[in-house]
Amino acid sequence: MSPKALLPLLFVSFILLSPKAKTQDTTDILNQLEKEMKQSEKTQTTYTTATFKTTRLINGHSVENTGKGVMDIKISHRFDEVKQGAYAFFGLDEATMRLGVDYGFTHFLMAGIGRSTYLKIFDAFIKIKLLRQSTGKKKMPVTVNYVPTIAVRTKNLPDSAANTFRSRLSWTQQLIIGRKLSEYTSVQIMPVFVHQHGYSPTSPPNNVFAVGIGGRQKISKRMSLNAEYYYQVTDHRAAGTSNVFSLGIDIETGGHVFQFHFTNTPAMNESNFITGTTGKWQNGDIRFGFNISRVFTVSKKH
Amino acid sequence: MYKKPFIFSFFMLLLSSWAMAPQLFYNVSKGNIDFRSDAPMELIKASSRELKGIFDATKKQFAFSVFVRSFSGFNSPLQLEHFNENYLESDKYPRASFDGKIIEDVDLHNDGNYTIRAKGNLTIHGVVQERIIKCELTVSNKVVTIRSHFTVLLADHNIPIPKVVHEKLASEIKVEVKADLIEK
Repeated sequence: MSPKALLPLLFVSFILLSPKAKTQDTTDILNQLEKEMKQSEKTQTTYTTATFKTTRLINGHSVENTGKGVMDIKISHRFDEVKQGAYAFFGLDEATMRLGVDYGFTHFLMAGIGRSTYLKIFDAFIKIKLLRQSTGKKKMPVTVNYVPTIAVRTKNLPDSAANTFRSRLSWTQQLIIGRKLSEYTSVQIMPVFVHQHGYSPTSPPNNVFAVGIGGRQKISKRMSLNAEYYYQVTDHRAAGTSNVFSLGIDIETGGHVFQFHFTNTPAMNESNFITGTTGKWQNGDIRFGFNISRVFTVSKKH
Repeated sequence: MYKKPFIFSFFMLLLSSWAMAPQLFYNVSKGNIDFRSDAPMELIKASSRELKGIFDATKKQFAFSVFVRSFSGFNSPLQLEHFNENYLESDKYPRASFDGKIIEDVDLHNDGNYTIRAKGNLTIHGVVQERIIKCELTVSNKVVTIRSHFTVLLADHNIPIPKVVHEKLASEIKVEVKADLIEK
């Protein structure tokens, strides 16, 4: 073989061995980085956050949990019916009130206690996050919470049969299935089972099954409109009661969330507002109310 | 004497590929970003360990990017939530990035310290700002370490500060980047 015969080979090698020729485009490293970022996005799970502004939608629970190591003080009022007019300052003369404290033990477990002036009720609940909505490596369409609650009515009623400890107790078992549809819109559905041990003002049956639906529509970064409705499945529905329906607005300012709303119940614990509501929207039995939530970071380990 | 042309050709072949300046691509192997907001009422710190980037040494081009959601730290879970939901809007603008060219010439084959300026587009919250950012480069054992301190004005990136948090959130955020790059 002569050197001349190798010249074409030399020429070809020149081209083949020069990777520069293929990668001169300015956008090349951007494309490469884009590929890398896409790859890492696929291998990571992104959990959906801020489905709702706070752990309550209006009366009931939302799909949110209190953060780990965070204490949330809740002060709630439900005023008298607006239709009472100017003399009663549109219901604001009278109020039922609930003072409550919630605490987030972990990312998926929170608990809370509260005391309402309505029937002097003490209540407690735990909230366990079973599933988290996510995208990426692990995909999950919904967030699911399990919320059991217990309430004790300490107010004595005229009927002494209603004043045994058993008759004062009620509990609920609730699942909350929520989905953040977009940055602005979130919805949830809440099947709930309510058990009361006997007497209550409207003498409901012992066991009531209800299904709640709720949602929010953000109208700005820090404000949202909320709606919540609990439907008592008719066969089990307590006589003389109506379903609780509420419309509200959330306003968030730093560590506070202010929730203002109109509702047809004076109660602020699950068993009483789901099965013990007597007011009717169509009769104008509408009350103004608010919840104020203030969070404090108690433990910095998160 | 048949072998001579062969040897000559192979030598030429070798030379030919070597004569082309070799493509020098560097990839971020370890990338950290820290930022702090030093306001009168509150100090907020957060960091991400997930900075990614590529540096083409032959063309002096670079591109860095980070997922905004990868930042952690903060003073409370709520602060993290507000960072993503209200300030950086990380669902709408999932990444922050910086890409452009190095102004100075640096020979990364030689170990040592270099101060360079990187000129490019800094994109945060979907808003692009052209910036020249000073960086310290350290080359040792083929590892290029980049260190850089710079500030980001929230107003430059269309991130408004609500009045109620004026005392708690600085308008100028201090950013520190540290990245190790290795040859690809």
